[in-house]
Amino acid sequence: MTTASSRGIRSVIKTGRAGRLARRALALLIGAAFVFPFYWTVVISLGRPGEFSDFPPVLLPHWDWSNWARAWHAAPWVRLFGNTVLIASSTVLLCLATSLLAGFAFGVLRFPGRKFLTMLVLAVLMMPGTVLIIPDYVLASDLHLLNTYWIQIIPWGASVFGIFLVRQFFLAIPQEILDAAALDGASRLRVLWSIGIPMVRPALVIIAVNVFLGSWNSFLWPVIMTSSSMDSSSTVQPVEVGLSTFASAEGTDFPGLAAAVTFTTLPVMAFFLVLQRQFIRGALSAAGGVRG
Amino acid sequence: MRYRIAAVASLAALSLSACAGGGTPATTTTAPAASGQELAVPTKPVTITFEEAMTIGTLKPAMEKLVSDFQAKYPNITVKLQGDPDYATMYTKEKAEVQAGNAPTMGQAYESWASYFQSGGALTPISELAGTDTPTEMSTFYKGVQKDLALGDGKTWMWPFNKSVLILFSNADMLKADGQAAPKTWDDYASVMKAVSKNGVTGSTIDPGSATAAAFGTQWFEILDKSNGGTLYDADGTPHLNDAGAVTALTYLKSLKDAGALATGKNYPGETALGAKKGAFDISSAAGYGFEKATVGGKFNLGISALPAGPAGPVNELTGTNIVVFKNASTDQKAAAWAFLKFITSPAEQAGWASTSGYLPVTAQALPLMQDFVAKNPYETAAVSELDTAFALPPHSWIFKCQGYEATAIQDVLDNGAAPTAALGTAQTACTAAKAQG
Amino acid sequence: MTATTTARPALATGGRRPRRRAPARDFRTTRWGWAYSAPAVLIFAAFVIVPTGYTFYVSLWKWNALNPAMSVYRGLGNYQRLFDATQPTFLSSLWHSLYFSGAMVVGGTALSLALALLLQRGGALLNASRVALFLPHATPMIATSMIWVWIFNPRFGLADWMLHSLHLPTSQWLQSSTSAMPAVIVYSLWHEVGFTTVVFLGGLAVLPNELSEAARMDGCSAWQEFWHITWHQLRPVTVFVVAITAITSLQAFTQFYQLSDGGPVYATTTLSYLVYQEAFVLSDTGYGAALAVVLFAVTVFFTLVRRRTATGADSALT
Repeated sequence: MTTASSRGIRSVIKTGRAGRLARRALALLIGAAFVFPFYWTVVISLGRPGEFSDFPPVLLPHWDWSNWARAWHAAPWVRLFGNTVLIASSTVLLCLATSLLAGFAFGVLRFPGRKFLTMLVLAVLMMPGTVLIIPDYVLASDLHLLNTYWIQIIPWGASVFGIFLVRQFFLAIPQEILDAAALDGASRLRVLWSIGIPMVRPALVIIAVNVFLGSWNSFLWPVIMTSSSMDSSSTVQPVEVGLSTFASAEGTDFPGLAAAVTFTTLPVMAFFLVLQRQFIRGALSAAGGVRG
Repeated sequence: MRYRIAAVASLAALSLSACAGGGTPATTTTAPAASGQELAVPTKPVTITFEEAMTIGTLKPAMEKLVSDFQAKYPNITVKLQGDPDYATMYTKEKAEVQAGNAPTMGQAYESWASYFQSGGALTPISELAGTDTPTEMSTFYKGVQKDLALGDGKTWMWPFNKSVLILFSNADMLKADGQAAPKTWDDYASVMKAVSKNGVTGSTIDPGSATAAAFGTQWFEILDKSNGGTLYDADGTPHLNDAGAVTALTYLKSLKDAGALATGKNYPGETALGAKKGAFDISSAAGYGFEKATVGGKFNLGISALPAGPAGPVNELTGTNIVVFKNASTDQKAAAWAFLKFITSPAEQAGWASTSGYLPVTAQALPLMQDFVAKNPYETAAVSELDTAFALPPHSWIFKCQGYEATAIQDVLDNGAAPTAALGTAQTACTAAKAQG
Repeated sequence: MTATTTARPALATGGRRPRRRAPARDFRTTRWGWAYSAPAVLIFAAFVIVPTGYTFYVSLWKWNALNPAMSVYRGLGNYQRLFDATQPTFLSSLWHSLYFSGAMVVGGTALSLALALLLQRGGALLNASRVALFLPHATPMIATSMIWVWIFNPRFGLADWMLHSLHLPTSQWLQSSTSAMPAVIVYSLWHEVGFTTVVFLGGLAVLPNELSEAARMDGCSAWQEFWHITWHQLRPVTVFVVAITAITSLQAFTQFYQLSDGGPVYATTTLSYLVYQEAFVLSDTGYGAALAVVLFAVTVFFTLVRRRTATGADSALT
């Protein structure tokens, strides 16, 4: 990274003080534009009753927390959020394991039927998910998995993207490294564990981020696979489902929704902000890996 | 879960008591009800499930009150609510549950949904529960509600739940300032709408609905058609979507739109515009009063009146759902469900339910028990009286699709400027094809 | 890089050529490969592959989901219905899928490349902008799309207020057949470019710099340098971004469900949304299954086309 040269805009815009300034101003503007919807959501959530429909829009918060209070009491948010974290992180762990093993198999090992399996897994990516939900529901019902954490974890515990990213990293590792280890008598699992994992770590980071976000993004699946009893302390539903209760049948409590959106996404944002260096670095090196 | 319910149910193999609700004589067995035999309330522990969408605002406590009252009266029966965030999700869940063989004991259902479930043999008719196709309780319901409980075969398959009619909300201050009175006919309504549409105000904003869900805008169109003397669907479900009444109705909407007096939106846009003082009117469910009031937030006086009338007189349409009992429940569960249905439609419970939820009581006997609420909400008397005359679309499974075609035609005319005749012609063709598909 | 290019042909032939020393070949050649792939393959088999086979089967029937015994065999009847359907027509849905995916692939790739060039390296401020860009991607669509419905509101929304303040013509956004798809695309770009920008940033960060310096010495303009050197070197990353974006946008669903319900007048009814609408909401299971099979075929077709046209160090996902 340190040896890489400057290019792109930095050289497109003449590298002078003015150019640097213009570049920063533009970056600031774009960053602000991307964040603005979030800011506005917070403003709405802290607005006075009825204010959310004012036009021109109110752009400064009035620090009225009543919307937050109302939204907070509408659902067991802490429990729901805990469910989301549990489901997402379990899915990530499972997905990392399956991606690592299958990516290793597809990228390093040779066995009869490998090509067939590779194509089969690739085909999985092509099937529209919505049509599968009802057959999957019937299956889950037969397996007695409805209303459990399992049904929200296991089906998402394998990722085509993850498998192929790991495979890609393994393809990029000079063959000699793995072969040398094998020559020393290490078993395949041992080679995977002690040599493979460190070398594909960037891929694992980006898989973890993507699967976490994917899990956190799922909506239709948990709604169908679990039943809600919103005040029950035993609900296994994730927080996204709690959010959708605001999109009600007889009315829309928009400031309440804005409050709920704010306090449910804030922890994830905070988490991301704390770890953004790792996240972005993972994505960076994954892109490097993609180059092969 | 299924196992547990089954185990509980099999424990309760024999019912010993005569604790039937609604004052009807009880039988002493829970054997599958032959005709003429009402299912007796079980006395052994039994759990029933109810797929419902009363999960937000005042609806949730109202729903929970019904359940806790019921469980207080029948301590051996547990009612498990399976709440869903919205109606579309609820329908999907119910379909999935039936397909997986674990349908809930009861579920909320619109008429066309019930028709779909019945066509797949998934429902229990009321006669199996009550021993008769016309239980005595039915005669206490408003006439429009009574008519809404049968399916295409003429038999009773549903029991009323969250019923309402449409009413007209308005910004009373704005109308007063403009010297306008509450409109009595749809022609009046059009001229008032056009008169107040100035200075950034648009008379009203409606949600025309979408291909997958009707909305109040769709229902308004249906009401206009009928008040023009039209019939959108025959009793057997044959569509007449491009008949004169429908074209007149949609042309009426188009002229309002062209005059800048009508706009379209999504997610209760009329309520929002009204609350923002950018709209004068909103046609919405009487049950939406609480939400309208919250949106207005005391910024002006919220006017409430009955819908204007058309050439064919005043017309209103039922909104809300009924309850169906699914087939694969055990006899004890069915008996418990029947007790629940009768219980929640009893006058006392209806009074409490209606006062909290904003939905209308399905029986006039509830009104004397909710005088406080009626005094505070004077529109209630007028609204419930419309339950006698309000219509519902005929209960056939394809009507669900066809309402989507209606909504699409409205969108095409209001959003894209299409000609009403052409748009409705397309809808008619599509609906006819949907009926042929069954 | 060299390692990969030598490794790949060997792998592609299934490793039958004995190029390596014996122990190494033994290490790689093993039937245990099945066991390594098994966890992932079993999950896919149970929840995707078998249900997919079931979907193919169902697509040949007038399927009664509530009572399969009452289903009627139709053969290719459901596929014929694709072309008879008017509300919406099959071709219009296919076109909307291509419209959306095309805009996401071209717009998304160009935008994220431009943003990556703008935001590469630099100090805290540029880093903050990178984080800002990624934030939408880190929030669930279900939440942010609810907010965007409000932003797109033609009467009270931020979007039109901003256009109005800038004296630009305002739009009906989701309330008109012509602007609804662009509105969904604007939202989707907002939600997705953070990820692809970061991928491009990663690609930029590892580019060797000799070529650029040589180019600059040769008197190339900055633009020429970008066009001939940087862009060219970024090609594998671009291919990766295009592949990912194409597949996810062909399958995109949540934003259509939340923002536009496929309307107005089916203007945002993509194949993916239509599958949901027919199979899920309207209970036309057999017809929905036929649509799903067609969408599957379309996705496979585009993937194959791209595989054919892509060469060299392309990612496995292509």
